[in-house]
Amino acid sequence: MGAFDLLMNGLVTAADPMLLLYALIGVTLGTAVGVLPGIGPALTVALLLPVTFRMDPAGSLIMFAGIYYGGMYGGSTTSILLNTPGESASIITALEGNKMARKGRGGPALATAAIGSFIAGLIATLLLAFFAPFIVKKALAFGSPEYFALMMLAFVTVSAAFGDSTLRGLTSLFLGLALGCIGIDQLTGQTRLAFGQAELLDGIEVTTLAVAMFALGEALAVAGTRNKAEEKVEAVKGSVWMTRQDWARSWKPWLRGTLIGFPIGAMPAGGAEIGTFLSYSAEKKLSKHPEEFGHGAIEGVAGPEAANNASAAGTLVPLLTLGLPTSATAAIMLAGFMQFGLQPGPLLFATNPGLVWSLIASLLIANFMLLVLNLPLIGLWVRLLTIPKPWLYAGILLFATLGTIGANPSTFELGMLLGFGILGYVMRLFGYPIAPIVVGLILGPLAEIHLRRALSISQGDWTVLFHSYLSIGLLTAAALALIVPVILRARGKGQVLSQLAGDED
Amino acid sequence: MKNFVLAGLLAGAMALPASAYTIIAPANPGGGWDQTARTMQTVLQEEGISPGTQVQNVPGAGGTIGLAQFAAQNSGKDDALIVGGYVMVGAILTNNSPVSLKDVTPIARLTGEYEAIVVPAASPIQNMGELVEKLKADPGAVSWAGGSAGGTDHIAVGLIAKAAGVDPTKINYIAYSGGGEALAAILGNQVTAGISSLGEFEAQVQAGTLRLLAVSSPERIEGVDAPTLKEAGVDVELQNWRMVAAGPNLSPEQKAKVTADVEKMVKSANWQEQLKTKGWMDTYLAGDEFDKQLEADTAATATVLKDIGLVK
Amino acid sequence: MTDHSEQNHRRPDVAAMVIAAGLAVIGGVMLWDSARLADLGGYSGIGPASAPRVIGGGIILLAIWTAFEAFRGDFPERPKQDLGPVFWIIAGLALQMMLLNYAGFSIATGIMFALTARAFGKRNLALTVPVGIAISFVVWFIFTQYLMLHLPAGPLEHLFVKGA
Repeated sequence: MGAFDLLMNGLVTAADPMLLLYALIGVTLGTAVGVLPGIGPALTVALLLPVTFRMDPAGSLIMFAGIYYGGMYGGSTTSILLNTPGESASIITALEGNKMARKGRGGPALATAAIGSFIAGLIATLLLAFFAPFIVKKALAFGSPEYFALMMLAFVTVSAAFGDSTLRGLTSLFLGLALGCIGIDQLTGQTRLAFGQAELLDGIEVTTLAVAMFALGEALAVAGTRNKAEEKVEAVKGSVWMTRQDWARSWKPWLRGTLIGFPIGAMPAGGAEIGTFLSYSAEKKLSKHPEEFGHGAIEGVAGPEAANNASAAGTLVPLLTLGLPTSATAAIMLAGFMQFGLQPGPLLFATNPGLVWSLIASLLIANFMLLVLNLPLIGLWVRLLTIPKPWLYAGILLFATLGTIGANPSTFELGMLLGFGILGYVMRLFGYPIAPIVVGLILGPLAEIHLRRALSISQGDWTVLFHSYLSIGLLTAAALALIVPVILRARGKGQVLSQLAGDED
Repeated sequence: MKNFVLAGLLAGAMALPASAYTIIAPANPGGGWDQTARTMQTVLQEEGISPGTQVQNVPGAGGTIGLAQFAAQNSGKDDALIVGGYVMVGAILTNNSPVSLKDVTPIARLTGEYEAIVVPAASPIQNMGELVEKLKADPGAVSWAGGSAGGTDHIAVGLIAKAAGVDPTKINYIAYSGGGEALAAILGNQVTAGISSLGEFEAQVQAGTLRLLAVSSPERIEGVDAPTLKEAGVDVELQNWRMVAAGPNLSPEQKAKVTADVEKMVKSANWQEQLKTKGWMDTYLAGDEFDKQLEADTAATATVLKDIGLVK
Repeated sequence: MTDHSEQNHRRPDVAAMVIAAGLAVIGGVMLWDSARLADLGGYSGIGPASAPRVIGGGIILLAIWTAFEAFRGDFPERPKQDLGPVFWIIAGLALQMMLLNYAGFSIATGIMFALTARAFGKRNLALTVPVGIAISFVVWFIFTQYLMLHLPAGPLEHLFVKGA
């Protein structure tokens, strides 16, 4: 039987009404836990895995896929509505999505996220099904020099997209880089900047920083504003559903996000956040409405959300073809597979095609269920914003702290949350952009570790960074992204450019 | 049948947990300790030893954060357990952790894995002897991919260098965060050799994408086509074991109760079945013998880490 | 923006000066901390101290730049702030943090909930505290009992759920 027939077989098996119900339960449970900020898909699956033990293999497999997709999707809902990113891959979603929600366009934002996730998940799962062995070969060619080059590209494109003041953008970025140095140095085991605090040994949790900066910092800023009546949040303005124009502006970002996210997810050390960063800056560059970025541009939600989901399917490529768990989520999925007697590895597709295809079919169905569950709920979700402010913000903070406490019930972690919240408030007050500090914390340690690994393997020879066409290409792209704006400005096209980079937050 | 399963699921979700063991997994979900804790949970529940067992992750710093928190909160309590292992022994030393395994009550060693040394299939290195020759000629030119700095893999490389007469501070060890990342670097031909638990490499070795050079067991392992390090002329033997411990200051009766429960779990057919599916070896060891083994391992690890230069 | 006075413009900005000083301190701490790290660069030539040094140095440069802009008064206008509500929220979060492991999730979070609501205008704590605790308890119950999350329990939780 060909791959297509096997997939069809899997789909037919999974389309049993009872199994569909399991998928729905899985998606609902996964979303319920996944919405908690700080609790990403990995922890969601880990928490709910025991639930799947109680079922027969087909049922538990499909429920498992549902929990996985639900956990992933849950994060973007809170990002958009409450400015509280549920996990690091939905931080970028909060940037534009929450601005949209405040203008009464929460409905379209949620819809473009849901449909974008679905389409990205669909395309990426199909790519996984038919091209996995080919893609994984390419992904393995990525060594530390190439990763370092990729990080440089991410740095340049992302920081070019932030803020109207170079000084404040850079300061925010460097504070993030500084936070990234805290903890045990991975390569030597030395402790940096922990000042004897055991809780700091593992570094600063990205979600703690993001939740504090976005949710707490903003609650404080809103509470501190004198004229509270001025800034009014409208729950719904215009249609709850996406307009024709929204569709027209969303479909390309969905596809581009998928194409960016999938390969990055397939790389053993890519990370879902990187894909969302690159997708966001790509959309900003390509948009016909660059002036809307920072004020709620739908492309800025559609692209990164698609990238996020596509990269999640991408991590399954090394997992299924090589047995490589390349992220926490993949590691926990591996544990899940073993429950079903599935031993991922290079021989899996050959030795156990039936299970692989039913897994892929389950993923497709769970993805579909997610859409079915979420689209009708959008109208309900956006009503959250009509809750009177005192209750709404009290609820947001309850929720933000619940996630932190659930992931790690320590006084110290809550203290950090509060400390970063106050920092976020002060930064808002003085016009510092918030996103670069989070980006710095994510990218800084990755760039450092890959540079040091590359140089260690080459025994201190810096030319190793230019040894492959891949890394040369990526570094050239990064250099161009840095230099071209300068040249354009010098040639008197500053007007266009400042508009391109015009971003007030 | 399916209706029954669903009803069971709902009933299970409704039932409130009874007072029972809380197992701390001092690591993120998905890793070895987490899986050990969750497997214990499953068996303790299904065998009716402790139906309401819960697992809690307290990740960080090679388990030392979880250990410190556990020791502080569970003095004299016989319903709290923590999973740990050999990596913790090293992490306590490298992190200067104020809390060590002396501050909890070790109950038993549960499972173990041996280390395996591999090279990519395309590598010119055919056997352990050639790798050692290369290491002797130019230690910097042999890059080793393995787990976190100061962990079992790093210690094993230090021991191999020492046994081969190479200065352990000169090894070119590249630490990766997870097994998957290190494996990708080896498969992608980025490094000379790789070292990790045998289970991590087994599927690749069978598929012929990696060449297994040696394993760190005392004797040859059944079904594994590779010599031990000793046979290959490198006098190193190392087991990456996992253990379970209870809180500090337990009364002898409390310790006996916990030990009895753990023994009951280990002896169950269910546990053996779980080990088999996960490819873990049963290296159960309890009581005084385990305490002695623990002490010996701690002393040996301290020496090696000093030799590598990670501990002063 | 508010009607904040124009004449402040182009005058040294004291608050921004404080930020510059703070940045200088952070940069200094990074350099100081990196100085005590052992040089374990090994074959790469880049040790654990290298990145903190570069970043610390960068932050000190940014501190100088900030001081320069602050001196020229180049920082944007700041909206006038009501600090009262801000302190209510901070107090709520601080209380939650301190009470969490003694009073349990519901009571600690309920108090935080009430103080946050107060910051936004619901002043009647006799109403908001019980409401906050009730909502938090429902949340606690759902997440610990059905969704397998581990949240700290206190007297209230023990009252309703045996063995929590």
